[in-house]
Amino acid sequence: MPKLTINGKEVDVPAGTNLIEAARIAGFDVPHYCYHPALSIAGQCRLCMVDIDKTPRPTIACNTQAADGMVVHTETDRVKETRRSIMEFHLINHPLDCPVCDQAGECFLQIYYMKHGLYDPRMTDEKVHKPKAVPLGPHVMLDAERCILCSRCVRFCDEITGTGELGIFNRGDHSEIGLFPGHDLSNKYSGNVVDICPVGALTDRDFRFKVRVWYLDTAKSICPGCARGCNIDVHVNRRRPHHDGGRRVARLKPRFNTDVNRWWLCDDGRYGFDFVDDPSRIVAPHRRDGRAVTVVSWDEAIADVAAALGRVRADQIGILASPRMSNEDLFALKTLVTTLGITRVAFAVPPAMPGDEDKLLIRADKNPNTRGADLIGLGGDARSLLADARDGRVRCLWVFHHDVFASAWPAADTRAALERLDTLIWSGTNAGATSELAHLVLPSAVWVEREGTFTNFEGRVQRFRTAIEPLGAARPDWAIVGDVLRVRGADPAAPTRAEPWFRRLADAVPAFAGMTYRTIGDAGVMIESAR
Amino acid sequence: MAEMVLMRNFGHADSHTLAAYRAHGGYAAWEKARRMEPAELVEVIKASNLRGLGGAGFPTGTKWSFIPKNHTGPVYLVVNADEGEPGTFKDRYLLERDPHALIEGMLIASRAIRSAYGFVYIRGEYVEPWRRFSAAVREAYDAGHLGRGFDVVVHRGAGAYICGEETGLISSLEGKKGWPKVKPPFPAIKGAFGQPTIVNNVETLACVPPIVERGAAWFAGLGTKTQGGTRMYSVSGRVTRPAVYEAPVSVTLRQLIYEHAGGVSGTGRLKAVVPGGGSAAILTADEIDVTMDVDGLKAAGSMIGSAGVIVMDESVSIPEALMVLARFYAHESCGQCTPCRESTGWIYKMVHRIVEGRGHKDDLDTILDVAKRGGGTTICAFYDGAVGPYISYIEKFRSEFEALIPRA
Amino acid sequence: MSAIQTIAFSPEQLAEVRRLQSLYPDGQGALLPVLHMAQDTFGYISLEAEEYVAGLFGLSPAHVHEVVTFYTLYFRAPKGRHVVAVCHNLSCHLAGAPDILAHVKRRLGIEVGETTEDGRITLQSVECLCACEAAPMMQVDDRYELNLTADKVDRVLEGLR
Repeated sequence: MPKLTINGKEVDVPAGTNLIEAARIAGFDVPHYCYHPALSIAGQCRLCMVDIDKTPRPTIACNTQAADGMVVHTETDRVKETRRSIMEFHLINHPLDCPVCDQAGECFLQIYYMKHGLYDPRMTDEKVHKPKAVPLGPHVMLDAERCILCSRCVRFCDEITGTGELGIFNRGDHSEIGLFPGHDLSNKYSGNVVDICPVGALTDRDFRFKVRVWYLDTAKSICPGCARGCNIDVHVNRRRPHHDGGRRVARLKPRFNTDVNRWWLCDDGRYGFDFVDDPSRIVAPHRRDGRAVTVVSWDEAIADVAAALGRVRADQIGILASPRMSNEDLFALKTLVTTLGITRVAFAVPPAMPGDEDKLLIRADKNPNTRGADLIGLGGDARSLLADARDGRVRCLWVFHHDVFASAWPAADTRAALERLDTLIWSGTNAGATSELAHLVLPSAVWVEREGTFTNFEGRVQRFRTAIEPLGAARPDWAIVGDVLRVRGADPAAPTRAEPWFRRLADAVPAFAGMTYRTIGDAGVMIESAR
Repeated sequence: MAEMVLMRNFGHADSHTLAAYRAHGGYAAWEKARRMEPAELVEVIKASNLRGLGGAGFPTGTKWSFIPKNHTGPVYLVVNADEGEPGTFKDRYLLERDPHALIEGMLIASRAIRSAYGFVYIRGEYVEPWRRFSAAVREAYDAGHLGRGFDVVVHRGAGAYICGEETGLISSLEGKKGWPKVKPPFPAIKGAFGQPTIVNNVETLACVPPIVERGAAWFAGLGTKTQGGTRMYSVSGRVTRPAVYEAPVSVTLRQLIYEHAGGVSGTGRLKAVVPGGGSAAILTADEIDVTMDVDGLKAAGSMIGSAGVIVMDESVSIPEALMVLARFYAHESCGQCTPCRESTGWIYKMVHRIVEGRGHKDDLDTILDVAKRGGGTTICAFYDGAVGPYISYIEKFRSEFEALIPRA
Repeated sequence: MSAIQTIAFSPEQLAEVRRLQSLYPDGQGALLPVLHMAQDTFGYISLEAEEYVAGLFGLSPAHVHEVVTFYTLYFRAPKGRHVVAVCHNLSCHLAGAPDILAHVKRRLGIEVGETTEDGRITLQSVECLCACEAAPMMQVDDRYELNLTADKVDRVLEGLR
């Protein structure tokens, strides 16, 4: 472990650490553009210069490995003057787009100019003009004038996705980032180049012109798009509801987790939150009697559910849980199943199309909590559950989240099964063909409207936190099930918050033994057998 | 006139052929070198005080000694025949008139650095030199000089001055844009295709056979205390006899202009001289009593670089000359790193405006300040080469620039 | 007008590509020589040719496009039967290159970067060709034309069919 001195502070770092990281360990920020810990060293921006004893000129920190006895200075007058020079070089041809650029507020030209520049600009000649507002595939917008040619995006497509769509063409100050003419930025991780672009050259088409970033609030969460459980930050717009058509979630960004997704997020996950504020959201419990739909209160809805369950024998009740539910939801449901003696339980419904999978992040299982559902013991044969419904052996079926018509099973079979039921109860977030058939529809809160945990495919239990208030009367599934447990007298002490449900789960299921919300923290914890 | 070493064969009929080369003692040095140990050869070159003749002037023997001793993989010898420095044309002559001298130099170098594989990177515009040199390579293969432990691949460039920078050349050789590489690692440690590589200029390697044949002390004695031998000076511009002239490196600029090249043409009165290719700081007419070796010009605040001497008489507009060079640097900047990419274009715009009579009163100080801020901050020395003219032309001839700028 | 051609090397040419690739420790080293081959064969390097060459090297087309747009000797659009490149760097400038260039433009009736109507000549104005001892000069196709005067320029252009 080399021991070096940075700004007078001695610090030990692992062998092979570059000086930007070493300075970070020592608590100092070395400004930089082209360096990114996930990518190869480019050494192009020249901003990360530092002074090193016995080296006559300032040296770039990204390409210098910490060595024993090295003495580094990151705040000498010469380093500061060099940074100011480099800032000026970066801004020579940069367009004055701040008023119309989405990056404003999180732009590292702005941030570093205010911190390291603060000079009077003297470039009065015509700036070099390059293409602006160029779509690169469905998710990314390029403004070549704003680009500082740090090459992070090029290296991302070469080294992380291996797809090589981007290049830097021409030379000199006519150098330009771009795609091969006529080609698309078509890899499944294209949105990540927007994250790593330090400036507004690469911006998100979905987020374009929607809301200024300084109005956004953030909550830590987990992507529910597949079994990987990539860590994310949910950025919500509470303060400017008249922007973006009232959409409350503005965007999702990856959150670094060294064991799960590192810095990245796939496009399906990143852009897969339209359903949150879609008109198809169910906002109130309702009964359906033939064509007649009646909105009811939660008290009435819960009473209906309790009554429906009570009208038949336990072996005539079917529960189709969902691997989209949180561990807390599933454990509440398991409690209901156990206390009522319900035996016909399942959660796995095959999708109409097999999911895609790759070696990077994407898992074929497009559910965030299959592992949790399995560990909590809600597994079963969903196909035969439906056959039982068709044959009249199951008379009351409570479906959680699934639109069974969107599965791989023939629609006719599904219809025959669901229409045979005395009572079809459906809880979920967005209306679909199944909810349209249900006698009782109960609105679930979507994942960003509540907190809880998912267990990813590897057995990592991760927390997601509340970002926004539930829409309308929507509630978390554990709350709905908890009410039914209380009304049925099966569990009068059923918790009314998520965390106690998790504590019960940790006590009851060995895989989760010893876990608490605190120990799970922001990085997650592996289940017992996977540690 | 001093003895011709590098240009000794130029006057012979068919000097580019193997037959002519052999008839005048060619490949005898290689025969001698084959019986010497690699380490011995390195010491001979070190002792000769041979310094790189492509531009950087780095001691050649020292460069050869940087190859790691315990490296078990390939070592590559790369010849920089990407001549492109304005005012320089000596390598073109060597390639066309004495290609076997380069081949023999390569053979000896290959033994010294234990390389079995060499690349000769010839600028794309040099089509005739490429054909001549390629024919000589085929002759050398047929005669069994090449192909017995050392192979040579001749590689044409495609038009980029930056490929004359040794790691820019390596990138281009690897089939990429000619972007110079971030250093460290240096080429001798990790160069072409990730292996230890020595990049040498054409003329530098052409010196090697005579050194081996006639001895390091002889070569060292021809020059100054810190640089041995002779070299080929490309003299052009406002001189009576523009041509390539060989002289000991102790020759003065005055001697080159007045004794070799026949004096100043045009008005006949000297105004300024570029002593070492376009990237060298300009010298005034009072500064020509300088020896044209690496250390002599360094002490005079300039550089010998590629020894391209461009003479300017009193009718030459220095601002116009700077504009021509500023345009060159803006066009040839590879664009990889920010200070060079952005400021070469900007500075050209400013100098162009000044020449057109649309300069602003702060422009000169802005150019000087920007150039000084950028110097030493880039991936390679291209920008430092641009800074040479930017600063020296304005500082030494400021009143000429100011005369073009309208008063506020 | 150039006929629409299939962008593909002959079997002999493909063998040459493989041979060139084998000369380099990493076959990508043969990219510049093969692009020269493509230009010689197809007249210029179209986007289709770039994709074709990319396929021969297992490179993304974007990276071939980087190379083609970086170097000045690759033509990305059809060029004349002859390319005339007048040097405009320092020694040639001192020897009267601007006047030579102006003369060539007048004679051919085109601007720099353009091609004559009859498809005969494409005109370029270029950086140092390193023949400063014979300034002013220009490169015509593969050869250098040195010590230019207006008359010599006329004779050279005349000889280009």
